[in-house]
Amino acid sequence: MTQGSRLYFAVAVLMCAFVTINGVVLNDLLERASQLSDKLHSLSTSLTNDLDSHFPPVGRAMMPRPSMCHTSSLQIPNDKDQALKVPEDELLSLARSLLLAWSDPLALLSSEASSLAHPEHNTINSKTKELQDNINSLEAGLEHVFNKMGSTSDNLSSLPFYINSLGQDKTSQLVNFHFLLSCFRRDSHKIDSFLKVLRCRAAKKRPEMC
Amino acid sequence: MRNSGAVLILTFIAKLISQAAGVSRPGKPRLTSCRSPEKETFTCWWEPGGDGGLPTTYALYYHLENSETVYECPDYRTAGENSCFFNKNDTSLWVNYNITVVATNALGKNISDPVEVDVVYIVQPNTPENVTAVVVRDEQGPFVRVSWEKPRTADTRSGWITLLYQLRVKQEKDKEWEVYDAGMQKYYNVFSLHPDKEYMVQVRCKPDHGFWSEWTQTTYVKMPDYIPRERSLWIMITIFSVFIILILTWTLNVKRNSVKLCLLPPVPGPKIKGFEKQLLKSGKSEEVFNTLVIQGFPPTTDYDELLVEYLEVYDNEEQELVLDGKDLSEDCMKSKSPSDSDSGRGSCDSRTLLLEKCMEGREGSGSGSGSDQHQYSQHGETSWASTESSESQGPEPGSPESADGRSKTWPVVFSSPQPQTHHHYQVGAAKPAYHSVPEILNHSSPHTTPSNYHQLHHQDIPQQEGRFSKPACRHSQSYNQFNLDGVGTPAPGVPPSPSLEYVEVQRVNPENMLLLWPLSDPNRELEGLDCAGEDYSKVKEVTNNILLLQRDTSHQCVDYYSQDLDNQADQCTTQQPPHPCKPAVHQSNSRMPHEGMRVMGNGYVDSTVLMPSY
Repeated sequence: MTQGSRLYFAVAVLMCAFVTINGVVLNDLLERASQLSDKLHSLSTSLTNDLDSHFPPVGRAMMPRPSMCHTSSLQIPNDKDQALKVPEDELLSLARSLLLAWSDPLALLSSEASSLAHPEHNTINSKTKELQDNINSLEAGLEHVFNKMGSTSDNLSSLPFYINSLGQDKTSQLVNFHFLLSCFRRDSHKIDSFLKVLRCRAAKKRPEMC
Repeated sequence: MRNSGAVLILTFIAKLISQAAGVSRPGKPRLTSCRSPEKETFTCWWEPGGDGGLPTTYALYYHLENSETVYECPDYRTAGENSCFFNKNDTSLWVNYNITVVATNALGKNISDPVEVDVVYIVQPNTPENVTAVVVRDEQGPFVRVSWEKPRTADTRSGWITLLYQLRVKQEKDKEWEVYDAGMQKYYNVFSLHPDKEYMVQVRCKPDHGFWSEWTQTTYVKMPDYIPRERSLWIMITIFSVFIILILTWTLNVKRNSVKLCLLPPVPGPKIKGFEKQLLKSGKSEEVFNTLVIQGFPPTTDYDELLVEYLEVYDNEEQELVLDGKDLSEDCMKSKSPSDSDSGRGSCDSRTLLLEKCMEGREGSGSGSGSDQHQYSQHGETSWASTESSESQGPEPGSPESADGRSKTWPVVFSSPQPQTHHHYQVGAAKPAYHSVPEILNHSSPHTTPSNYHQLHHQDIPQQEGRFSKPACRHSQSYNQFNLDGVGTPAPGVPPSPSLEYVEVQRVNPENMLLLWPLSDPNRELEGLDCAGEDYSKVKEVTNNILLLQRDTSHQCVDYYSQDLDNQADQCTTQQPPHPCKPAVHQSNSRMPHEGMRVMGNGYVDSTVLMPSY
């Protein structure tokens, strides 16, 4: 082989290795991220169950409609066909946008959890704190994934949250708490689904898992 | 008014009639469940409330959370009776469906309670498919490998849905199932199944956030008949015994001393109190002997006293001899002592004289130290035998420093007048005398001095002239400190002074060393001294407090320095002309070596004093 061809070969091998390694790394990152998102959704589900155990019936009537969640403006795929057509970076940015949108609301929930008029408010309080931690971890992880993916544009949607208080009286506080939590539960499911789709797309070498 | 009243009455009658006939409007239907098997479609089931006796139709209506548009169920058949199937097109995720069922019959309709449904929360997959259980033969024993496939409808490949599997096993007769979690994999190995038994296997699955599927149909598997090798038992036995052995070994190790004691009882070895074997090993007999020295022994009193005590009396015979000696000695002649005050002293007697001689002799001899050489003073007179330490350590051996302190005043006949250096010694009360200074085994024990010294015997010799022994002048040997220690040669205790002739005590140095001048100086050759004649200033040996002087008529001033008995004996014999240790008349009996010194005749030699310094 000539010098030039040898050089090309070496470069090609290096690139393959790089891509392979990167792919492996990306796969691991996504695996970890989907584990986190799974945990996030499980926590929110259990929190919702705890709340439901002692929820006043009148509250259900008072419950705002889910379309009033602050993240409902975000355009997301509604079914599988749509979701599978979305490119990876867009899926990732959707997930990240949703995640970012919940930092502040969770802080609010966390602060209000201790004073909730609910018999299990201690458990609720601790679980809310745990939710907060997990969200932070997942945010950091997804940032890594984003860097690894190497997308050029970072089009995160802004979903502002303007509410600073859950309500003055106990009932409205409770109801609003419940409502916020239900919004979060759904959004966490979205994040989890998107990440798992991404995970399987990246893990082309591991079909047994997908 | 009449009309409304009539209508009311008619309605009431109709109701009564219908009730009598058993028909009414339908009962309230109830939505039982809605399920989605793959997160793409879903189905809702309801149960009718009662048809009221009349044929009733049911309709399902729904609307999405963010719109008011009411839709009716698109498919009532696919899912069976009283069901509504929502296909892909009608299914939206992450959206709440508000569903109601309306039952209608001829008499009326009834609406169920609304139900809010989000499709993603109602996922329940179908059962796994193709469950197979195979017996696999292994060297450790056969086991069952159960494998299956995912439910057909679930799209796990794209990651849209994630499934977790579970299987359960039991024998037909068992009540409880053995449940195993298989995770996301599609196979599982079941161990520890009993041989020759039939087992039932079932599998189910669940999405990551959803409901468990139904169990599959039972799959039967029969275990073969095999003999289980109880390997584990042997392993346990081995480990246990190893453990026991380790413990025993450790215990033995810990107790090894007592075990050794038990098996090999120690044999007591000889032991001398205060004596260390190391010294023997080191090879320096001097040290060895030094260790044997008992400080403070023998008890001594004032030195002077002793000296005085042991002053020997001379007799005429001796005198003569002395005179002879004196005549013979040229040195004596030579030496002139300015201070001739002492009546009892002869010319050779004077201390200064001696000192001079000794000095010269000393210098002449060159280094008196470092070797077992005795410097011989030229004074042939009775001289204090000063033992020179062979080694020159510190001050010149024999330099009488402490003479003052001690004034062990030998009634020194020969006191070297020269006050300097080594051999100045004060002779205090001086009656000179012959003193047999035997060996002076010096030890450096400053304050127990007297014991370390062999006492010199002085004898008061009234007449100086006659005093000098023949050999004295001639063989004036000045010994430096006869320091056994310093010699470096094994000095076995107190060897009798190595065939010294008359010795003259030079002085007593601060270290309690008696510095003696031998009267015959082996280095005399240099000065041309002529050692001739009999010389009784040699001490052959000192044993048991007996100083043995020997008569030495050798002409040659033999340089000898031996501090042990043997050497001395040799010396005795080797001197020429051989007068091997012939005891002089006036000398103690040298025939009896190793016995104490005896006072002979005029008592030149005194036995008492000699105390070996060990």
